[in-house]
Amino acid sequence: MDIQGEYHIAASPTEVWQRLIDPDVLSACIPGCESMTRASEDAYDCAVMAKYGPVKAKFKTTLTLSNINAPVSYTLSGRGQGGAAGFGEGVADVMLEETSDGTALRYTARFNAGGRIAQVGSRLIVATTRKFADKFFAAFSSGFDVAADDATA
Amino acid sequence: MYQFDYQAPDSLEAALAALRENDEAKIVAGGMTLLPTMKLRLARPEALIDINRIGSLAGVTEKNRAIVIGAMTRHADVAASKLVRDRIPGLADLAETIGDPQVRNRGTIGGSVANNDPAADYPAGLVGLGATVVTDRREIAADDFFTDMFETALEADEIITAVHFPIPKRAAYMKFPNPASRYAIVGVMVAETHDGIRVAVTGAAPCVFRVTAMEDALKKDFTPDAIAPIAVDGAEFNEDIHASAEYRAHLVNVMARRAVAAVG
Ligand SMILES: Cc1cc2nc3c(=O)[nH]c(=O)nc-3n(C[C@H](O)[C@H](O)[C@H](O)COP(=O)(O)OP(=O)(O)OC[C@H]3O[C@@H](n4cnc5c(N)ncnc54)[C@H](O)[C@@H]3O)c2cc1C
Repeated sequence: MDIQGEYHIAASPTEVWQRLIDPDVLSACIPGCESMTRASEDAYDCAVMAKYGPVKAKFKTTLTLSNINAPVSYTLSGRGQGGAAGFGEGVADVMLEETSDGTALRYTARFNAGGRIAQVGSRLIVATTRKFADKFFAAFSSGFDVAADDATA
Repeated sequence: MYQFDYQAPDSLEAALAALRENDEAKIVAGGMTLLPTMKLRLARPEALIDINRIGSLAGVTEKNRAIVIGAMTRHADVAASKLVRDRIPGLADLAETIGDPQVRNRGTIGGSVANNDPAADYPAGLVGLGATVVTDRREIAADDFFTDMFETALEADEIITAVHFPIPKRAAYMKFPNPASRYAIVGVMVAETHDGIRVAVTGAAPCVFRVTAMEDALKKDFTPDAIAPIAVDGAEFNEDIHASAEYRAHLVNVMARRAVAAVG
């Protein structure tokens, strides 16, 4: 069950791309991200505090950038290990397209879970993924508006 | 088990004080949601403040043409209450459809409302009946209380004490339950209150919502046929292995018509 979204950003695809691969930008946009350190060329170790209803737990997450096709598209995935609860993995395919006034950012995201999380939480996965993806991409795009405004100010 | 502090105060004041003392403390009511979450280590509160011993929080009374249900009242007690059955039979029916006997005998209206699970039944009951949530410090209209999935207008250290349900002229709740948990895949409360007609839907979207187009149609003609052509937009609806978003959108209309028919 894929979730899709689209944002329009007043900056060129190359500028948007620079920020899409910038770990500082990514960590600032991931809801609940408390720390992020580079693990390898295209992978980062993050600590993410998830707060949804009764859930409040810190997950060690590995964030990976793959299928890199600069400055057009890539896949952003985060796999978190929840100990006794199981695991969860979120994947977003991101695509940039130049428009007359900037860049259209389109994403398709999905989330898979295994273990007890999947048993008790399957009915919540789509809504939670949508909320998480919306927060991430909204934060990412609004960061841009500010940057664009700053540039013209 | 991991270490946590446990307190069971016998007054609301003591519970509030304990809650203020520790940012990582949690209220436990029936424990039907909180304890399984803790067992999975998806929550690790440093302290549990058990409000089961605060006698004033449980029970059903009638006051100023409203039914007042204490926050610690169990679902089974709402379902069995002669007063609720008499004044708002649709609400007794709703409580009776929650979960299984164990969940109904432990789970509380306060816990359900505070949790605001997208598939919980009470949110539709509260919004559909135009109820008011009463806390230790204020009253919040149901329309303003449920803000988003698992989110409410409650402050971190605020305790629900009761829910006021104005007695409607007539009301009915219909739900299509998940076959295993009985949580609502879609549940619809239809009520003719003294302030107008209300249609509230749970289970379909991340948060309870009203269908004003149906409310307007029912105002003119209170029949299932009047709302049959009214479709809801399911683009942002929930999806799982039991029901697609599209199917949930379909169920909203079916459950709403059944509720209208049941109201009579
Ligand atoms: C197998 C199963 C099936 C279920 N099926 C259904 C169903 O069909 N329909 C349905 O609606 N629900 C269903 N539930 C949920 C159940 O109805 C409980 O009501 C719900 O889990 C929360 O109530 P509780 O009293 O157990 O709260 P708890 O688990 O004790 O607490 C839940 C949350 O609310 C907070 N809280 C509790 N009381 C208060 C208060 N007075 N003020 C402020 N915060 C408070 C707690 O701190 C916690 O964060 C089901 C649960 C299970 C386990």
